[in-house]
Amino acid sequence: MLRMYRMLVIASFRSRMQHPFNFVFGTLMAAVVNVVEFSLIAVVLSRFGSVQGWSTYEVAYLYGAILLSKTLYRTVASDVHHLEKYLVSGDLDQMLTRPVPVLLALMAQNVTIYVAEFLQSAVMLAISLSVLIGSGQTSWLAVPQTLFVVLCGAIICFAIGLATATAGFWITRIRELQVITEDSARFAAQYPLSLYPKWLRYVLCTAIPVGFANYIPSLYVVRGELGGWILAATALFTAGCLALSMRFWRFGLSRYQSAGS
Amino acid sequence: MLFAVLARKSFKRNLQYRMAHLLQNIGSLVFGFVYASIWAGIGAASPLGSYGPQGMVAYVAFNQSVLHIVLFLTNGLGLEQSVRTGHISLELMRPTPLFYQTVSREVGNIAYQALYKSVPLFIFYFLFFRLPLPSHPAVYGWTALSLLCSAYLAICLQYLIGIAALWTTESRWLFWVNYACHLLLSGFFIPLEWLPGWLRHVSAATPYPFIQYHTTRLFMGLEGPQPIIGSALWGALLTALCLGATRLARRKLEIQGG
Repeated sequence: MLRMYRMLVIASFRSRMQHPFNFVFGTLMAAVVNVVEFSLIAVVLSRFGSVQGWSTYEVAYLYGAILLSKTLYRTVASDVHHLEKYLVSGDLDQMLTRPVPVLLALMAQNVTIYVAEFLQSAVMLAISLSVLIGSGQTSWLAVPQTLFVVLCGAIICFAIGLATATAGFWITRIRELQVITEDSARFAAQYPLSLYPKWLRYVLCTAIPVGFANYIPSLYVVRGELGGWILAATALFTAGCLALSMRFWRFGLSRYQSAGS
Repeated sequence: MLFAVLARKSFKRNLQYRMAHLLQNIGSLVFGFVYASIWAGIGAASPLGSYGPQGMVAYVAFNQSVLHIVLFLTNGLGLEQSVRTGHISLELMRPTPLFYQTVSREVGNIAYQALYKSVPLFIFYFLFFRLPLPSHPAVYGWTALSLLCSAYLAICLQYLIGIAALWTTESRWLFWVNYACHLLLSGFFIPLEWLPGWLRHVSAATPYPFIQYHTTRLFMGLEGPQPIIGSALWGALLTALCLGATRLARRKLEIQGG
C-alpha cells in the first residue's frame, strides 16, 4: 500500500514540476503571506509585551505547531481537501473503478510540497523552543514532545478535513463548510484559546477539536501546566478522532451518488 | 446603461448562492471574533492608546465587516481565467472598453457582498460587542463615500493583477502579494501609528491606508473626511495605470486555450 502511495506521489509531483516558474513563485508567495500573518501578531506583542500572559515565543510555538500539523496533513492527504471538485465533475466515479482504495487515491492526487510552510513552521518552532529552553521555562524534553504534538495535530487536522469532505457526499459543495471547520478553526487555534469565551473554547476542543492539535498539549510542553498525562490523553483523543472520521468516511462513500455528467 | 445592466446581472447571479454565503459569513464571524478577542486580551493589561480596549474591538470589528467590500473581490476580476481559456479575445473584441466592463461586473459583485455579507457581519458585531455608533449623521455619509473610494481602489488593484496575466498567464501569486500587503499596510489589524517606523513609511507610500485605515477612523470619529481627497488622487492614478495597461495589453494579446 505504501509503495503504491509513493509511486502515485512521485507521478503527481512530476506533473506539478512541469511548470517550475509557478511552483517557485507560488512557494515564495505562500511564504510571504504566512510571514505577514504572523508578523501582524508579532508587531502587536512586541509593542504590548504579551497577550493574557502568553509571550511572543509561546504564541509563536502555538502558531508553528498548528501550521506544521496542517502542512503535514495537506501534503500527505492532498486532494482530500479538494474532494468537492471530484464530486462536482463526477471524476470520483473513475476512482471507484480503480483497484486502489478511494481515500488512498485521493491522498496521492496532486501532491504539493508546501516548502514555505514547512520551513516557516519549523523555524518558528525551533526559535521559540530554543528561547524557552534557554530561559529554563522548559527542558530539552520539549523537543520530542513537540514532534509528538505535531504528529497528533496532523492526524487531528486530517480527521477534521476528512469528516468535512465526507459531508460532500450529501451536500456536494463543501468549500464554505471548510472555511468554518478548517480555515477559521485553525486560525483561532493559532492563538491561546484562553482568549476566547467559554463556548468557543468548548467548540474548539470538542466539535472541531483543533484545541488538541496544539493548545491543550502545549499547556504542558511549554508552560508546565496540567501534567504529563495530557500527552497520553491527547494521543487517545487523536486515535478516537481518526477512528470516528474513517468510519464516517466509509459510511459517506457507501451513500455516494454520482453528480457529474 | 450597459454598465448598469452588467452590474445588475452580476448582483443577481450572486443571489443564487445566498445559502453558501451565509455559511461563509459564519467563517468570517469567527475570524473577526479572533481578532477582537486578541485585542480584548491585550486591552486587559494595557490602555491601548487613544483607542482604548473597547475602541480597538470596534476598530477590528468594522475592518472585518468591510473586508468583503475592499479585499475579498473576484481574483484579478476574472481576467486571469479569461486569459487561460482564451475568452479574453472575445472581451477585447467587444465595442466597450475592457476596463469598464470588468469594473461594472465587479461593482455588482461588491454591492451584493456589501448587502449580504458586510452589513449582516456588522450588525452581528454591533449587537455582540455593543459597538458605539457615530452620533453625527454626516459621519455616515462621509464613511459611505470613503468606502466607495476604497472599493474602487481595490477594484483597480485587482484589475492590474488580472491584466498582468496577459504577460505571465498565471497571476494568482500577485493576488496573494496584494492580500499580504493589504493585511500589513492597510491598518486592517494594527492601527498604522503602532507599526514600526520604517513600515509606517512604506505604508504611507501605498494606497492601502486609504482602503481601510482612514475609512475606519472616519467612522469612529477619530479623523475628519480630508483623507477622501487622498483616496480620490490614488483613484485617478490607478485608473490611469489600468487604462495604460489595457492599451498595452491590446498589443500583447496571445490566444490561449483551445
